[in-house]
Formats: sequence, structure tokens, C-alpha cells
Amino acid sequence: MENILLKNNVAGIEAYFADGGYKPLKKALGLKPADIIEEVKKSNLRGRGGAGFPAGLKWSFIPKDAQGPRYLVCNADEGEPGTFKDRELLRKNPHALIEGMAIAAYAIGAGHGYIYIRGEFAAEAELLEKAVAAARAKGFIGKNILGSGFNFEIFTHRGAGAYICGEETALLESLEGYKGQPRLKPPFPAIKGLFGCPTVINNVETLAAVPAIIEKGGDWYAALGSGKSAGTKLFCVSGPVNKPGVYELPLGVTFLDLLEKSCGGMKTGKKLKAVLPGGSSTPVLTAEEALAVKLDYESLAAAGSMLGSGAVIVIDESQCMVKLLQVLARFYHHESCGQCTPCREGCGWIDKLLSRFEEGRAEKKDIDTLYSVAEGMLGRTICPLADAMAMPVMSFVKKFRAEFEAHAAGKTCAEAK
Amino acid sequence: MPKLTIDGKNIEVAKGTTLLEAAQQLGIYIPRYCYHPKLSVSGSCRMCLVEVERGPKLVTACSTEAADGMAVLTASDKVMAARRDVLEFLLINHPLDCPICDQAGECGLQDYYMKYSLRKSRFSQEDKVLRQKRRAAGPRLMLDNERCILCTRCVRFCSEVTKTFELEVMERSDHSFIDLKEGKALDNDYSLNIADLCPVGAFTSRDFRFKQRVWFLKKTPTICLGCATGCKIEAHHNENTIYRLAPRPNSETNTWLCDHGRLSYKAVQAGDRLAKGVIKNGLIDLEPALREAATRIDEAKGAVAVLGSPWLSVEDNAALARLAKDAIKTESYCFDLTAEQGIKDGILINKDPAPNTSGVKLVKEALGGISLEELVRRIAAGQFKVVLTEARAALLIKDALKTSGPRLIVFACAKSEIPAGAYATFPYATYFETPGTFVNYQGLRRRTEAPVEAPEGVKPLWALVNKLAAYSGAGLRLDSAEDALKEIIFK
Repeated sequence: MENILLKNNVAGIEAYFADGGYKPLKKALGLKPADIIEEVKKSNLRGRGGAGFPAGLKWSFIPKDAQGPRYLVCNADEGEPGTFKDRELLRKNPHALIEGMAIAAYAIGAGHGYIYIRGEFAAEAELLEKAVAAARAKGFIGKNILGSGFNFEIFTHRGAGAYICGEETALLESLEGYKGQPRLKPPFPAIKGLFGCPTVINNVETLAAVPAIIEKGGDWYAALGSGKSAGTKLFCVSGPVNKPGVYELPLGVTFLDLLEKSCGGMKTGKKLKAVLPGGSSTPVLTAEEALAVKLDYESLAAAGSMLGSGAVIVIDESQCMVKLLQVLARFYHHESCGQCTPCREGCGWIDKLLSRFEEGRAEKKDIDTLYSVAEGMLGRTICPLADAMAMPVMSFVKKFRAEFEAHAAGKTCAEAK
Repeated sequence: MPKLTIDGKNIEVAKGTTLLEAAQQLGIYIPRYCYHPKLSVSGSCRMCLVEVERGPKLVTACSTEAADGMAVLTASDKVMAARRDVLEFLLINHPLDCPICDQAGECGLQDYYMKYSLRKSRFSQEDKVLRQKRRAAGPRLMLDNERCILCTRCVRFCSEVTKTFELEVMERSDHSFIDLKEGKALDNDYSLNIADLCPVGAFTSRDFRFKQRVWFLKKTPTICLGCATGCKIEAHHNENTIYRLAPRPNSETNTWLCDHGRLSYKAVQAGDRLAKGVIKNGLIDLEPALREAATRIDEAKGAVAVLGSPWLSVEDNAALARLAKDAIKTESYCFDLTAEQGIKDGILINKDPAPNTSGVKLVKEALGGISLEELVRRIAAGQFKVVLTEARAALLIKDALKTSGPRLIVFACAKSEIPAGAYATFPYATYFETPGTFVNYQGLRRRTEAPVEAPEGVKPLWALVNKLAAYSGAGLRLDSAEDALKEIIFK
């Protein structure tokens, strides 16, 4: 199958032209905005940031009669551990994003777009700014785009290193100059978003898929992939596989195919133990579960996990699950914004409980405490960061309880796994 | 108008009503920390989670709008479990220094733990996050970050009510803490409200700390006399001593209380309270002092002026007016006082620092008298041998008094109030010690109640007036404060 997102490995606008770039924008500007939204709805394109919300539906939530400015925001604050797909897109195909933004902005009636890019992506931010300048020089963004009368300007804004700013409303707070803390919803950003105005926030990968949908039609895109999981997805594979990296594959590909065909299988001497299929926040799958699963929204949900950001973290038998979970816990403990009680206190508590296991201070009852602390956080906070901590904890304890028990019985990581 | 059920009870509420407010209308209490009716909704403490039938998750009652057909449960197993969990989370890093915490007895953590949790701690003490213990956070507040539950009411109060923006949540995760922004001091005119707002012992009043365990305090509703706004307040007292004042939130005047008003009770217990009469500079017992003053008034044979005071109750002003009109029988009495009124800071503090300018006007309307200009003119012209008024009102005629030098007889609560050159001064009971009627800038009639008794020998002002009248043998008799009010018509 031909790649849609990672077509070539050059960031330049000339290469993008050679591939038919910016023709979809021209086509889109000849359509009615409502028709574009219909086309995207038809494509079944779903949010690639992790939540999988239908993109066309999200765009249609912008009130038709809203007065004043509307905004389009691109979430390029790629921070989910294990995820490095947006970085790849920014490096290799930034114009697909810029074109996708211009089309989306036209569809929702936004005059300004912001790209909130992860602070650590310094080189990518520079690259992106160059790409935006090149697109502006060619008249694809700016005033009266391609003579259509439509004006759209893009600004890039670098984050300052907070994971939470990848949450869309924390991102808006940060963009407005405040401390990055998620907002209480409702109101949702489509009604009251950036600077209090109707706003659509989409992930880089979502927006980058838009030009192809406009070019080839929603039906064409919907036919790719599997059922309600339409299109292609960038999978970021990390862990002891022969060829880790970013792979663009249709949704519904099996984990086995991704592992064996794309990644060349496990490294010699490494045996698959578990997989975090959609980033560090998603419930873990055992080797057996993983090898039977298809990678799409529905199949992973049915297997008790999530597609998330498409970050496939492969774990082999040499890893201690308790130790691994503590690495995650330390991350969430550090990154919780501290606003909601269960997350602020719970992430720290879990981190400390796991330290007890790692340092040989844990008792058997701490396993149940660990599980119930996670339960106390799940679904009880403003944003899903608490869930992102709770879900791995609960799945690790459920599926690898023996390793926790071994630690509680005084065994080391090497002995426990 | 959405119709819904809460715990099986039907209710119809106005559109936009939150579940917490709707429950409140039904008399169902939902616990909360970050929610405050006069502050923006934060939704972060998660204490008010309730269950909406067929909803995927528990929702915060403080932020969720009531919708038609909702079936809300505020005490289901799920809700109770969530409350227990939130309390446990709040308590794991709390110092549990209740025995030495000034908030004990009125602490949101203590109260809710008793009501909703009683769960044993599962958290190991050595893992606690330690934060900074108490320190001064401004002239009137102490801040103990370790006790803080980060509800952010204080932060929102400073940014939304006083708009002084002193506070902010620093850091994040379980290392978050409330702190002053760089270069700011928490010294706004309303800072002590933060001690009220704080549900735990993080912010405490430096004035009140360690003076009294709160469960010993009795509460008497009364009125603040700090300015013409006339806020409704509550005096907290024990064994004839007032320990603090707190606002009684109401829709007419005040949710909050300014620091000036809040600390105004201190005058009652001030070291320079007068308990005896003063003639020239010598303290003498009240009775001989009153007889002396009555003699001077008699000698003056009607060359006496009487001036009302915006600092006195309607009763005491009326008593003074009756003394002038019916006993001394002078025409030269003035209750025609005016002042520019209105809220000057957009919150509570009034342009008129006196509490009863509007009340004095009622006395003038009922009992007549001359204008202040006329009174000043007559004093300056040397028409009087004696001028009788309240100490702070004497400032209104200060210059005229200097010119002609009549004998000035004043009523004062404290030595510091006595105007220079006063001939005689009589102590009177403050309105924390005797009830009195006041009319605020909105024209609202309000009555103070007396939480404490006056020091021995100190009488209400109307009673002193009664005695002056009796000693001069005049035909005025007041048996109670209400007696003085007879001719006054309240609107």
C-alpha cells in the first residue's frame, strides 16, 4: 500500500509539489466549507492524538452562527512516552500538516492557526517555521489564499516541557500564557476554546491526513483500514525489536505483522513478554493477548486496551514489570498538574508504593493498596492524566501479580521476573 | 426549566442551576472544598462527585448543570466510595497536627472525615511530602503550606474579589503549594476573609490564633459599625470577651467583611477604655461627674448647643435630641448631618466612615433642629456656654469651638477619642455592649445585638442622658433605649 502521511523523506516544498502537494487545498477552496466537513466525516478520520474522536464531527461542533474569531490549533506537543510519530511527520512532511491546517481552517472558518510544538522539538520547530514561511511565500497561507478571498495565518508556539500541555485544554491555557492546567469541561473548546472563542484542536497526524482525503475523497479513505478504524496510522515501535521505528500501516494490521513484517521480529535472544499498545498510558497486554490482537480502535478496546497514540512499546522477558511500572509512575508523578486531588496525591502515592516494592520494603497487602489507589483515581478527575496512571497500574497488577508478590516476598527484580 | 430527581426527590430548577445548587434547594448537602458560591467554579477538589444515572462517570455537582430528566444520586455506594477516596488522598500528606491546629473544631478535613470516611490510614508516614510550616503571609495572616489541600479558594478570592492577585499555586503534582507572587504582600483590605475561606488550617488569622478553642465560642449576630455599609456580622465570644468577628453572608450587603471592620471589636477591649467620668483632666466617679455637668448645663440657662453624631445609634441620637428639646429647652440642636456615601472600592468599604449618617437624619426629620452651618455659626459667634456632643462628632465643630471656647462636654468610649480642651467626658457602652439601631447607606435599618457586657459602671449613652436630665431636674425620663425612639419614624 502507498503511504499517505510519510510519502517522501524531504521536508522541502518543492518535493511536496512534485507529489501533487497543495492541489487539494486549491480543490478545497472551491468547495463549500460544509461540504469539506461532510467529506471528512465520510472518511471516518479519527483523532490520532490518542482519544480517537471523529475529526469531521469535531469540526462540525463549531457553532455556525458564532460571532468573532475562531481558531484552529494543531497539537504538536507530542509527549506520550513511546510516541515519536508527529516528530517524524514534522521532519519529513511538514507541508502535509500546513496544507491540512489550511483546509481545516477554511472548513471551520478560522482565520488563525496555532501549532503548539513540544519544547524539546527545537530542530523540528525551526524546520516547521521554515516550511510555514515557504508556504506563505507561495501564497498557500496568508491573505487571499490562491485568490479565493480566504485569509489564514499560522503561528508556531513552542511548549516549555510539560506533558500535561498535550491535553488540549491545558494546551490552550499554556498558549494563552497561563500555567498549563486542563480546563473543566463543558464548555468544550468548540464552544469556548482559545481566548474564549470557538476552537478546533487536532493532532499533527490527523491534520496531515486531510489533504489526501480531500484529494481522493472520504469514501476512498474510509475504505482503507478496518471497519470504523479508517485510514492509515503511524505506529511507533520501541523496545528490543530488530527494526524499531515509525511505520505507516492501515489500521487493523495485526500486532504480529507489525512485529514480524515491519520490525523484523524480536532481537535474537529476546522473548516477547508484554506490549503497551498505544503509549505508556494504555493498559498492558500480555504476549499472548498482543499476538492475537489487531491494531485498531475497536480491536484494542475489545482486548481491554487502547490504540492511544499508536506508540507500541514492546517489552521482553528480561524486563521486571514492577520496575517498569515504577518508571511510568515516576513520570506521571512528575507530570501531574496537581489540580485534582486524586491525581495530585494518587500519582505520588503510587510512585512511593512502587519504590517500596523496588527497595524491598513492600508487604503483600501493598499490592492491593496499589490497585485500590489506582481505582480511586480512575475516572474521577478533570482530565485523563489520572486514568493514564491508573490504567497501567491496574493492568500490570492484574496481569503480572506474581512479580509484585515476589517483590513483596523480598525478591529482587532479577529474581522476580 | 429542567425537571430532575435528586435522591428520588423531584425538583424543577432554573436553567443554569448546578446539581449542587439544586440539591441545596432540596436540603441535600453535598460536601465540597473548592466550591464557593461567590467564587468561580474550579471543580478540582473532586469532593462533590455525584452519580447521574446512566452516566459513564461520576460528575462534579459544583460544575454540572441540571438537565431535564436527570436522576442524580448523592449518596450511592459509588459516590460514598469516591468521597472516602478523595478524603484519603487529601489526608495522606496532611500533617495531622490537629491538637495544635487552630482550625480544629471548624476544619473541613476533620468534619468530613468524621462524616464520610472514618477509614484507617493506609499510607506510610515516612513517605509524606513535607511542606513549609507556618510563616507570616502578610500582616494579618499565617500560612501553613503543609496543611493546605490546594482548593485554591484563596487564590481565586485574591484574583476575583479583591483583584489584587497576590497568590498563586506554585510547582505542580504533590509538590504544589500556595505562595505569594514575587514582590507581593498579602495585605489587601479583605485579607482576613481568606482565613474564613480556607477550609483547613492553612491560612489562619494572626489576630485570632491560639486565643480560644473554637468550640468554646458563642456566636451573636450583629452589625459591623466600621463604616456606612453596615455589614451583617457575627461576634464570636466567650466569657464576656469578643475573640473575632465574621461576616454573615447575605444578599443585601455583604458576603465578605473588610479587615478594618473585622478588627473593629478591638476597641471594646482596648486598654484605654474609659470607665469613669473625666472632668478637665481628672478622672472622677460617674455620678459626681454627671452632677457637675448638669450644674454647668443649668448655669448656662439655655445657652447650650447639642450636636448629634453619625457614630451613635438612632436611640442615642434621639435621646440627645430629646435632651436638647425637652429638658434643656434649647433651639440650638443639630441632627442635620450629611456625608458622601457609596461603596468606594467596588467591594464593601464605604466613602462614609461613620455607620449612622442616615440614621441621624431620621432624628432630624422627627425632632427638627438647625443645620450644621447654623450651629457652627452660632458657636463661633459665642452664643453658648456649653456644647454637648459625642467625641468624634466634636471634630465637625472643632474650629468654631476654638474661636469661642465654650465648655465642651462629650461622650467617648476611649481616652484616645477625647478632643483637646474637652471640659467633661463621659464613658458610654459600645454597641457590642448595648443594642442599637443603625441605618446603613442603603437605608436598611439594622440592629446591633450585644454579645458582651460593658465594663463595670459604663452605661449606655441614652441612660447617661436620662441621668443628666434627672440631675438638672428637667422633665425628661427615658426608661429604655426604645423610649428615646418614640417619635422616630423608620421608612
